[in-house]
Amino acid sequence: MKRSLPFEVFRYAAIFLALAVTLVPTLWMVSMAFKPIAEWSATGADLTWWPKAPTLDNFRFILGTSTSDLIVALDRTAGKPILASLLSAVFGTLIAMTAGTAGAYGLSRFGSGQNLPLALIQLRLFPPMAVMIPVMIMWAFFGLVDTWWGLALIYGIVTLPFAFWLMKTFFDDMPREIEDAALVEGCSRMRVFLKITLPMMRPALASSALFVFILNWSDYLIALLLTTREWVTIPVYMASLSSSMTGQLYGAKAALGLIAAVPPVIMGIAIQKHLVRGLTFGALKQ
Amino acid sequence: MAGISFRNVTKRFGKTVALKNASFDIQPGEFFCFFGPPLSGKSTVLKLILGLETPDEGEVLIGGWPVNHVSPADRNVAMVFQNLALFPHMTAGENVRFPLTERKIAEDKIRARVEAVSAKLHIAHLLHKPPAQLSGGERQRVAIARALVRDPVAYLMDDPISALDARLREETRVELKRIQRDRGQTLIYVTHDQEEAMSVADRIAIMEHGEIRQVGAPGEIYDTPVSRYVARLLGAPMMNIMSAVRGDGVKAADGTITLPIDAVPADVSEIGVRPEDLKVEPWSAAHAGRPAKVYEVEPLGGYTVVTVDTGAEKLKALMRGQPDIRIDSAVALSCNPARAHFFNQAGEALGL
Repeated sequence: MKRSLPFEVFRYAAIFLALAVTLVPTLWMVSMAFKPIAEWSATGADLTWWPKAPTLDNFRFILGTSTSDLIVALDRTAGKPILASLLSAVFGTLIAMTAGTAGAYGLSRFGSGQNLPLALIQLRLFPPMAVMIPVMIMWAFFGLVDTWWGLALIYGIVTLPFAFWLMKTFFDDMPREIEDAALVEGCSRMRVFLKITLPMMRPALASSALFVFILNWSDYLIALLLTTREWVTIPVYMASLSSSMTGQLYGAKAALGLIAAVPPVIMGIAIQKHLVRGLTFGALKQ
Repeated sequence: MAGISFRNVTKRFGKTVALKNASFDIQPGEFFCFFGPPLSGKSTVLKLILGLETPDEGEVLIGGWPVNHVSPADRNVAMVFQNLALFPHMTAGENVRFPLTERKIAEDKIRARVEAVSAKLHIAHLLHKPPAQLSGGERQRVAIARALVRDPVAYLMDDPISALDARLREETRVELKRIQRDRGQTLIYVTHDQEEAMSVADRIAIMEHGEIRQVGAPGEIYDTPVSRYVARLLGAPMMNIMSAVRGDGVKAADGTITLPIDAVPADVSEIGVRPEDLKVEPWSAAHAGRPAKVYEVEPLGGYTVVTVDTGAEKLKALMRGQPDIRIDSAVALSCNPARAHFFNQAGEALGL
């Protein structure tokens, strides 16, 4: 199809604009992570995309191996927050995926729990602040405040609806005859689920888990309310990276942001081939 | 090998009645075919035999035993699904051996059985591939092999070869019939293709709206259908149906066909004539009644389909060879009253 020139110009302008919104901040963060303190808030001609004096000082600073010339001393390093984020997000994802998959399968195959979809989503129907205050009180009562497992539990609960809904559409799309065939060929119901359904659902599980993990990984509000010192997560820790003398520690924040971007990107690349492949590829006639 | 019987079986899905008061007996070793249009209840019958559905009323018997509460795994019935339902995450070989490994059969026995069945279906060289890398016909054979690999009491097949092209379908059809006869196994076959039903089955059950209309050998149903519906379902081209008017003879198709009055039942409403029983001759002064006009001629080599226009209806006649009949010429129609079918107002067949 041949398009007119003005249309082409407009099209590329629109694409560029859309990309700029997402790419510019990301690239700026990457650049900032390698800039020394003198360049953080440079203006005019000193403001460059490429660091004039690239340095790893920002990384050394947050990981606690050097205070370099930042003058300020951190009361803690980024190590523990990274661990807190990993533990709470991974186990939160496990909880959400396990419960969500089981619930979705039950509703999709046997129609059990017709009210489940709405019940699951009700935590999301209210403003997060309204829900989180009672959760804070309950968690305090159970001694779960400022623990990674307490955080993992609430992550599992608030992302459960997403895991449930995603898995339900996948289960709905799976042809029932494949399970029927396994039943006829000698499997019990449980065995069908473990030997046929779950292996077939691997791509669906992978992409749903990635989605849920990213939600948990990027949470700020819940972690802010439920952690105080010991198990602060990356986003909460990042907010604390400022000092009365130097103000916002932009370079340190950018370095931490770059580190935080690594796990989702690795996961995304790892499951990429699953994402593009169909679920039942090859099972049916056509 | 076992017979399968239904005793007044009814199955509902919500408000729709998928199967209504069905009773039949399939003999051990029989090639039994369920035939009818889509949604006529054929697949429901299979699911009830397999145990994937439980009847709301009535009883399903396998080998004389009631199995209403027996799980699918314990019924020992094998099935080829309409969409094949291969396991996409396993290779073709793993698919074929699945029924045996699930039943904890010894490895050397499994290997022998898989080898035998894949040789018979010519898939031995495909066993290492996943279904995604197989062609439609190859997948079909893998699915059939998965059913044939064990020794069930009966095989069920839901339109298993509909995805194949015409030539491969005819070959597979012959092959299936051959395998079934060699093994002497009960085989229950569902199809919506009348030619397939006629050619493979020992007996056919004709279904409509969840009810079984007629059960019998293909020739028997073809020659003595119980209703207009059944008569039109079997045979290609379809049976010609003409409205009948009684006078000094019984005139049909706008007076182009006349039958002697004593050869026709009294309350006849419609007369049915199979295309091969409709005689078409060039019109001459010696003929009585009215002539019909030749509408279209389709020569098919061994025989020719002639469509005639009687004014009221278009009728099809099947003639041997390539007769010299020109389009738009006037022709005389006739038929042997003994080969005609008579139906009343309700579409039920009438005998004399």
